[in-house]
Amino acid sequence: MSGEMIDAQRVAAEALLREARLLDRGDWDQWVAMYQDDAVFWVPAWLDEYDVTEDPATQVSLLYHDARRGLEERISRIESRKSITALPLPRTVHQVTNVEASSIAPDEISCESVFSVYVYDPRTAKGHSRHGRYQHTLKRHGAEWKIARKIITLANDNVATVLDFYSI
Amino acid sequence: MNAAALSRAERLSAISKLVDDRPDEQFFQVDRSIFTDQSVFEAELRYVFESTWNFIGLESQIARPNDFVTTHIGRQPILLMRSADGKIGAFLNTCRHRGTVVCPFKQGRQKFHVCRYHGWAYDSSGRNVSITEEGSGQYPASFTNANHDLVPVARLGSYRGFIFASLSPDVPPIEEFLGDVRVFLDLVVDQSDSGEVEFVPGASTYTFDGNWKLQFENGLDYYHFATTHSSYVDILRKRNATAAPDAGSTVEPKGEQEGQGSFSFDYGHAVNCRSKRAQLYGRPLGMDPARLDTVRQRVGSTRAKWMLRQRNLTIFPNLQVIDILSAQVRTWRPIAPDKTEMVSHCLAPVGESAAARTMRIRNYEDFFNASGLASSDDNVMYEFSQSGYAAAAAGPTQGYLRGAGDVGTGESFHTRELGVSPTEWSFGPTTFGGETNFHPGYREWRRLLQRAAEQATA
Ligand code: FES
Ligand SMILES: [Fe+2]
Repeated sequence: MSGEMIDAQRVAAEALLREARLLDRGDWDQWVAMYQDDAVFWVPAWLDEYDVTEDPATQVSLLYHDARRGLEERISRIESRKSITALPLPRTVHQVTNVEASSIAPDEISCESVFSVYVYDPRTAKGHSRHGRYQHTLKRHGAEWKIARKIITLANDNVATVLDFYSI
Repeated sequence: MNAAALSRAERLSAISKLVDDRPDEQFFQVDRSIFTDQSVFEAELRYVFESTWNFIGLESQIARPNDFVTTHIGRQPILLMRSADGKIGAFLNTCRHRGTVVCPFKQGRQKFHVCRYHGWAYDSSGRNVSITEEGSGQYPASFTNANHDLVPVARLGSYRGFIFASLSPDVPPIEEFLGDVRVFLDLVVDQSDSGEVEFVPGASTYTFDGNWKLQFENGLDYYHFATTHSSYVDILRKRNATAAPDAGSTVEPKGEQEGQGSFSFDYGHAVNCRSKRAQLYGRPLGMDPARLDTVRQRVGSTRAKWMLRQRNLTIFPNLQVIDILSAQVRTWRPIAPDKTEMVSHCLAPVGESAAARTMRIRNYEDFFNASGLASSDDNVMYEFSQSGYAAAAAGPTQGYLRGAGDVGTGESFHTRELGVSPTEWSFGPTTFGGETNFHPGYREWRRLLQRAAEQATA
């Protein structure tokens, strides 16, 4: 394995685990700061039993933001304490594993991983899980790596009640 | 008449009376148990959903020969398909042999549907084309003489690309069932130059732990918007402060009265409308002035004006069409008294520009479904309502009387403009949020249960 490969794997794993921790702790300002201004955050929809949507301009996604601002709006909605979806906020535990990263350019890493998120809602005392695959693209900005693109393929897409950035 | 039939009739009649409707006294009330009771739930599935017209899909979903989609009417699985020679058919999605679901897929294109259990095969017109090893089957005449085709629905009809089906033959013709609600479907469909609508690929399925009638009511409820969706309204206001000119915002013609109201129709349907000078969100039809002009010339300025107003249609019992910042078609499937499955599609006029289409898609994702910034709040509210309905000792709720003190009948300025004859209408200021538009759905619910009670004793 080349030095560059090992580095990509380490950089990606650190970013993914940090992201999971920030989401679960509700440190959303720090979480969203991991994203570039023009970052794409995309959860495609399933067209049928086998295929997901491929073009957000002509197909409907479950979630699609092409700038960090969209995520910031979602955060502000929750922090306003006006959205009943977050009163109380469900508790989540993200598990990210099967990380496979590679350098695709000197300052760019592409990474595949899988996730499961356990969501527990203290309002109903009920829990459920969400699971699927992540595809991250990370870009280096000076000393920092930022998320340029995150695609979340949600395996169980018959969604219970609410789907938001913190629960996938 | 036997005792069982009598007691069934009495039970159904008692259920129908859970809707207490006394228009002369300006009184309307529903008992909480219609949201929670298992026997009410079973009765309404059988005698409401499975005894009247339900929306089952768009013609454009099965545009080509052998296209199919699967759905439900009440509890019953339905296979909607276009035959090789282009005819639309809807069938109970169950094998004639031993009942297995014949087509387990959401959608696709197949000339034949082969049951996986013992291999019986059906073509896309529902005809049985093969019974596996029939020759060695030692079948009696009672089998050989029987029809083995998929069982079609009792009634199938469509209006401007919207397909409806009924499992009961005892329904009015589809045109009569829809009545003047057709005018409001026209306002959606005629936004397309070719008069066609389609679902944008990427449907969404979600559930909430509440009764289906919570969604039925909410789709006609403007009263909740400012409170339930206040966090979304904050976001919209912030965006509007910096919005580009192509955000699609349109203004009402001068002299139009601001306000909101509703129209009620026979067979349970109702429509909400809102006209506001300053709109919170833009519209795909409004973003391209040239195209809007073309539409205006084709449909006239009055209908174009109504196309730009928010309209929420409820076609009882299972369909809502919402035309605002985008257009949504949503249907619900009751799973249990306290569980509902929603299927939601982004609806679009065929032929709009690529930019308008993308705006429609972004706006739809923004607002609707479990992942949208508005509908997700509704879903959680339904669950809070459902939990609250357990407080049966508190008696009936008071949520059916806003507007009941001043119900409109006969003609109004709006009914004349639209050319509709609703059974009732309402109109008030933008803060009005009337609730009398829930009444037609409950009246139809009651009528269908009363009819079932009468038929049980016949
Ligand atoms: S159940 Fe379909 S072939 Fe037997
Ligand atoms: Fe709502």
